[in-house]
Amino acid sequence: MNNPAVHISGLHKSYEDTMALCGVDLTIEDGQFYGLLGPNGAGKTTTIHILTGLVIKNQGVTEIYGKDTVKDFRFTRSQLGIAHQELPIDWFFPLEKLLYFHAGYYGITQKNAKPRVEELLVRLGLEDKRSARLRQLSGGMKRRYQLAKALVHDPKIIILDEPTAGVDVELRHELWDYLRELHQNGKTILLTTHYIEEAELLCEKVGIIDKGKIIKEGSPGDLTRDLGKAGINVHYTGWNDELNDALSDFSFILEDNRLHFTVRDPEEVMASIIQILSNHGCHIHSVSTEKSSLEDVFLSLTGKGIN
Amino acid sequence: MRSMNWVGLYTLTRREVGRFFSVYRQTVLPGLISSGLYILIFGFTLEQRIREIDGVPYTLFILPGLIMMNTLTNASSNASSSMLQMKLLQQLPDILTAPLSSLELSLAYTIGGAVRGMVNGILVLLLGVFLIDMPVQQPLATIGFIFLVSWAFSSMGLLLGQLADTWDQLAMMQNFFLTPLSFLGGIFYSIHMLPDWAQKLSLINPIYYMINGIRYTVLGVFDSPPLNSFLMALFMTVLFTTAAILLMKSGKKIKQ
Repeated sequence: MNNPAVHISGLHKSYEDTMALCGVDLTIEDGQFYGLLGPNGAGKTTTIHILTGLVIKNQGVTEIYGKDTVKDFRFTRSQLGIAHQELPIDWFFPLEKLLYFHAGYYGITQKNAKPRVEELLVRLGLEDKRSARLRQLSGGMKRRYQLAKALVHDPKIIILDEPTAGVDVELRHELWDYLRELHQNGKTILLTTHYIEEAELLCEKVGIIDKGKIIKEGSPGDLTRDLGKAGINVHYTGWNDELNDALSDFSFILEDNRLHFTVRDPEEVMASIIQILSNHGCHIHSVSTEKSSLEDVFLSLTGKGIN
Repeated sequence: MRSMNWVGLYTLTRREVGRFFSVYRQTVLPGLISSGLYILIFGFTLEQRIREIDGVPYTLFILPGLIMMNTLTNASSNASSSMLQMKLLQQLPDILTAPLSSLELSLAYTIGGAVRGMVNGILVLLLGVFLIDMPVQQPLATIGFIFLVSWAFSSMGLLLGQLADTWDQLAMMQNFFLTPLSFLGGIFYSIHMLPDWAQKLSLINPIYYMINGIRYTVLGVFDSPPLNSFLMALFMTVLFTTAAILLMKSGKKIKQ
């Protein structure tokens, strides 16, 4: 399959008087871990819901491996595994049975689904809960079930809408490890999250969406380097005027016995700065670096926090 | 996967049937108990005053109507409540994002409701056979007619379940339309006992035809030609099934 795993172009959606999406363009390559970040109401969930068939688009292209998500819905939906943000409630059936039902909707018989269901129950720590009803599970257990359900038909693309919302730190780290493992095994993952740290740690590429449009895309490293601010602070004694020429390639501010350099990548230039200062007889007491986080970039682009 | 997703259809149907069997105290037993009470209270007490209608003992006369009332209320409420419950409990996204077509989704819900309608109808039929020795003149036609009516009202229930946003709206349909129309459809009387204007009014009540049809297949008596009952049931089946599938396809009220 040479087509990208997900291709969205010119996607528009309005709800009565509200424009939810106004021209979303997004491409996720096969095997990529992609994070969609945006404040509440930015259009993350609407985009996902259009891909999965829960929301009807007004216009635009939505394709999974080159196939239209409406015309070829059987193919496209069978490639997707979705863990919805909202936790479902079911009064009637035990958890294990619900997983078999879910596999069945994707055309997998109970007999064929059995090894996969058993594997997921063990891997996600749900083995003891196989006979429990969903209402008897804690929030964390329900999240695990959501993930098991998304994976039961072994999809190529996994869509996770806030997969770690409301779970404790320990479980969050466990889920992160599992998502990394899935990615290493070749799964394409589309993640929306409130935790920017989550996107920074897991995603190869991040798209920042605001007011129904992707406003910036790139790897977390590239985004912070290109759009964030970084600097090096040096505490020294022994300044001499020759240093003004020697450091002319850098942008810096001199203040008492402190130098503040504004740079793109502190690690890249720190050694040269220290060498120049030392060669000119400066005595360096301390050096520190500062770097914008993805959250700072997000704030500067959208003008608001993610929560 | 271009053609039918048979495993998906079978799975969702099994879920629908399993759902109502898992709460049989709410979905199967009440109809049986209330029918038994109707037989005891209405039948045995009123039989002292109304000995026969159309040559049939009164208790026997009301039983086909009870079969039909149980069949159609259970068939419609299964599909409607299941659909609304899935909407309200966030279960619907799981099936709407699966590779199931509108036709498969509609069929699964309709079959689920039809099975509940048939189970309830046949249990009341058996109650009549064992409790009051009710003779069933045309057993196959009776089962066939119960199936047709179950399907018609189950697809109607699915249509209502898709349109409804609250339990109140569903209860309104049940309490203000289905139950009154069932009682006015001649469960407890022959329409020939009514004044002319009421007889004419009964002819526009679709449930009257359902009761008339089952009374013919079970007891061999009828107020209107049995063919009309069959045609009405067939018409309702085609109308509601088509409407339910088209509404599912449009995504109205279930997708945004």
